[in-house]
Amino acid sequence: MRASPGLLAAGAPTPQCSLLLQCLLATARRSSADGSAPDLPFTSLPLGEEMMANNFSWESHNISLTEHSSMPVEKNITLERPSNVNLTCQFTTSGDLNAVNVTWKKDSEQLEDNYLVSATGSTLYTQYRFTIINSKQMGSYSCFFREEKEQRGTFNFKVPELHGKNKPLISYVGDSTVLTCKCQNCFPLNWTWYSTNGSIKVPVGVQMNKYVINGTYANETKLKITQLLEEDGGSYWCHALFQVGESEEHIELVVLSYLVPLKPFLAIVAEVVLLVAAILLCEKYTQKKKKHSDEGKEFEQTEQLKSDDSNGIENNVPRHRKNESLDQ
Amino acid sequence: MARRTEPPDGGWGWVVVLSAFFQSALVFGVLRSFGVFFVEFVAAFGEQAARVSWIASIGIAVQQFGSPVGSALSTKFGPRPVVMTGGILAALGMLLASFATSLTHLYLSIGLLSGSGWALTFAPTLACLSCYFSRRRSLATGLALTGVGLSSFAFAPFFQWLLSHYAWRGSLLLVSALSLHLVACGALLRPPSLAEDPAVGGPRAQLTSLLHHGPFLRYTVALTLINTGYFIPYLHLVAHLQDLDWDPLPAAFLLSVAAISDLVGRVVSGWLGDAVPGPVTRLLMLWTTLTGVSLALFPVARVPTALVALAVAYGFTSGALAPLAFSVLPELVGTKRIYCGLGLLQMIESIGGLLGPPLSGYLRDVTGNYTASFVVAGAFLLSGSGILLTLPDFFSCFSTTTSRPQDLVTEAPDIKVSLPKEGLEED
Repeated sequence: MRASPGLLAAGAPTPQCSLLLQCLLATARRSSADGSAPDLPFTSLPLGEEMMANNFSWESHNISLTEHSSMPVEKNITLERPSNVNLTCQFTTSGDLNAVNVTWKKDSEQLEDNYLVSATGSTLYTQYRFTIINSKQMGSYSCFFREEKEQRGTFNFKVPELHGKNKPLISYVGDSTVLTCKCQNCFPLNWTWYSTNGSIKVPVGVQMNKYVINGTYANETKLKITQLLEEDGGSYWCHALFQVGESEEHIELVVLSYLVPLKPFLAIVAEVVLLVAAILLCEKYTQKKKKHSDEGKEFEQTEQLKSDDSNGIENNVPRHRKNESLDQ
Repeated sequence: MARRTEPPDGGWGWVVVLSAFFQSALVFGVLRSFGVFFVEFVAAFGEQAARVSWIASIGIAVQQFGSPVGSALSTKFGPRPVVMTGGILAALGMLLASFATSLTHLYLSIGLLSGSGWALTFAPTLACLSCYFSRRRSLATGLALTGVGLSSFAFAPFFQWLLSHYAWRGSLLLVSALSLHLVACGALLRPPSLAEDPAVGGPRAQLTSLLHHGPFLRYTVALTLINTGYFIPYLHLVAHLQDLDWDPLPAAFLLSVAAISDLVGRVVSGWLGDAVPGPVTRLLMLWTTLTGVSLALFPVARVPTALVALAVAYGFTSGALAPLAFSVLPELVGTKRIYCGLGLLQMIESIGGLLGPPLSGYLRDVTGNYTASFVVAGAFLLSGSGILLTLPDFFSCFSTTTSRPQDLVTEAPDIKVSLPKEGLEED
């Protein structure tokens, strides 16, 4: 669609009377009304019927592009409930604004209706309004400005992501464990848990006190599994249901039997026993050797004393003095 | 066979140092790295921080409280059987803990059983060490105690790795096998061939004289307050970091960093205590105050660099105050009453070690984060250091040991770690 300054260029599929109504409104009103970004030069508000009737909140997002933008600009938007959405792209170029071709696409489908184009100075503005009611309307919405090169801005609408644990949860046979899934700032309508049997996802039923699902806050869910068996290990999925889509997260559970740590334990115990035995045996051996050599030494010492005694009193005197000083 | 009256100061003594090194690693390294298990226990039992903290605090308290029992038993039976029994008890405690289904089981198995095992290993080993060394006793003890720092450094990430592969049950089983090496260390403690030391003045008389000794009582109160705050970071730092969204492995590494600076602090403080003239009490007060300040600043730090800096500061200052805490005692009560004094001191300060971590855990449960816990821990340390001001000779220009020349020669190098047998050998 070619841009003409000041006039709106609207697409086709609305009923005839509302198109007429829009034309009348366009020429009549000058100021922008509730909900839209007040600084954008759109003179009127072509509200579709659904938008007038609902009381959903408004989400407004803006992307700025220039002729020199080398990479496509993307904006990620997290949405959990139905909303009215107002997307605006602005394109600044030094060339002729009339020569720019403006289009909107959802995913790869071209959109025909409900977008406006307007220009001020050297900037081209385009605005697209729609309502997101369910998951069909979620996805990527892109605005394209075509001169020689095509500049693109993309708005990605996604449901909130869930946080589980990236490392596997390890537990033992007979124990109970709690798998947790949480969501940062969101409040899902419903939580469900699935376990995988091979490649099939089987919902976890609340059976026989084995599985208990509860959560203390609305933004988290806990699956408590009691009396674990080795077959209970594997992948578990937690699903969060929103009005506008679903989100899921994967948690890995590993159930070990006691034999797994028992083997290294027994190996280390055996090593300690060997060590102690070696130390004690070594000592006994060196003591035996010492005893033999000591017996030899004692024999020599008794010989020495016998010869000392026969030398006389002089040897005794220094010994007495030494004892006196020690007694202090 | 000829009996020596002097310790050999070498020879088999170095093997005893090696054994003491591994023992201090296995006892205190495990105890200090328990902060890593703390987070797992809170998740596994769904209990509050206060109740889980009792596990470690009971272990610490039983180990300190039971040290005199360990020394007494080793005087009667020799160090070897006592330490080997202690090793078996410690390993048994951990083994039973791996089957626990409630917190009470952990209190009894890790707290009581392993704690008493640890009490029976550490004190007899230090006593045995003093039998083998006299001139180089402080060096030997210092070398042996480096085991604490090195193991806290290595064990924290090691335990985290064990937890990620075997969960807490398997990890406790393997730590039990590790603790069994205490038995092997005990086997190395060959009783030295020394003449028996006669006891001096009867223990009861010493005890009553100590209980009437004002400065000793004040010092005990100060150390009890210090002990209350001292162990809190080792237990709650990992949990505090996880509250700040740190991953478990980097959090465990921060604990190791604190452990290394603890090691450096011990060595530097020991050297400084010798080099700087004047009463050691002043240095002790300096380090205690700095430790208290760094603890209180922990909640303020949010940025990783600030947290690392504080961990280093805390590690250094808390390591620095440890050897000095033992050195002040002979200056206060004299070397003749050291045995009794040390035992009494350890028994009373264990109350602080018992109550500190659960109090910190309780504050965390009530307020939702660890800010109050760390601030209160710092406050305890600061109040303990305040009481140190009231000790005699704090403001004097020279230390009391210089006034007794005959003690100087044998006492000066030994002040750093005064051991039970020391006072007995003087006579």
